Amino acid sequence: MRIFDATLGRLERSLDVRLVRQNVLAANVANVDTPQFKPKDVDFTATMSAIEGAARTDGGVPMPNLPTLEAAGADSGNGGIAARDLPIVDVPAGGASFDGNTVDLDRTMVAMAENALQYGASARAAGKKLAILRYVVSDGNG
Amino acid sequence: MRIDSGQASIDTGAMDRLDRIDRTGSQPGAGGATAGQFGSELGKAIGEIDKLQNAADTQATSVAHGAGNIHEMALALEKADVAMRLAMRVRNKLVETYNEIMRMGI
Amino acid sequence: MDFLTALHVSGSALSAERTRVNLASSNLANAETTRGPGGKPYQRLDPVFESMRVAAQDEAPTIGQSPLGVRVSQIVADPSVGKKVYSPSHPDADVDGFVTFPNVNPISEIVNLLSASRAFEANATAVETLKQMASRGLDITR
Repeated sequence: MRIFDATLGRLERSLDVRLVRQNVLAANVANVDTPQFKPKDVDFTATMSAIEGAARTDGGVPMPNLPTLEAAGADSGNGGIAARDLPIVDVPAGGASFDGNTVDLDRTMVAMAENALQYGASARAAGKKLAILRYVVSDGNG
Repeated sequence: MRIDSGQASIDTGAMDRLDRIDRTGSQPGAGGATAGQFGSELGKAIGEIDKLQNAADTQATSVAHGAGNIHEMALALEKADVAMRLAMRVRNKLVETYNEIMRMGI
Repeated sequence: MDFLTALHVSGSALSAERTRVNLASSNLANAETTRGPGGKPYQRLDPVFESMRVAAQDEAPTIGQSPLGVRVSQIVADPSVGKKVYSPSHPDADVDGFVTFPNVNPISEIVNLLSASRAFEANATAVETLKQMASRGLDITR
């Protein structure tokens, strides 16, 4: 029985990835009027798969130490996912554009709302798990 | 009890190991080895809790400087909280057990 | 990437769009100004948007490349010539009796205004979304 288990680790990593995606989407919205700008997005599912795939195993039992998202060039020795491996992909252009800018503002705003919602859900889940632990450890008090 | 400070999983499977050590330590010679193992396990556990506290401190400091990651800080603080409470419970239990044994009389 | 970076990104866009609104308003206000500074008719002004990297506050390495904000790299005057109207009694009439009006088309200025306004709203929503996310993240502690 582990107290801080793999699920909590997954929730933590999902929070990190969601935050990165929020930054990328915010950059898209900010550059809605910049000529020649091509929007980007983070493939959330692929990123989480990569993170879980890189999770170390210890005698066949998957460790709860899911690798963290590494800062560029940093290496904590934890088997982190390098920044360059984050699948930040170009969003395919919806149609022609007269100044080379292919940002679809409405789609981006929807994606941003969805991302924020999922972030909130993950945060709430992680908070609840920890609250349960705290309750148990405090013998029903506090 | 082994606490991994990387993701702070408290492996209570180790409690079973300690339990077994306890039971097999009935011979006089093994008594000393038992105490040493238990002591070192405890020492390691306390060290890991300390690492959790430091990690929480680091996160809180970086947030105080304005550059920190909010959810990382919140998670680190919560984990440090839970780990410390667990440690306190274990400590209280140990003290209680010790007192119980001392009260048994000769 | 963190919350502050995303705020800087959206903030830069808010400033840039505000500049665009100001320029559109200035153009509209001067649509009939036949004698601007220097004695020439008013020339409409256009902002040039350019992406720029938003650095994290303390230059610490961030996950992935720092996201792209936007700035107005320069404000260019539109060199096109406005329409000439025959009006010999006008104080600014030239030797042939023609008055050169500014090259401002009120309709396109209003379209610019609306577009900038929409982009401004979108970025303001992005800031609001980020605030909500941060609040949820903090809720992990109770």
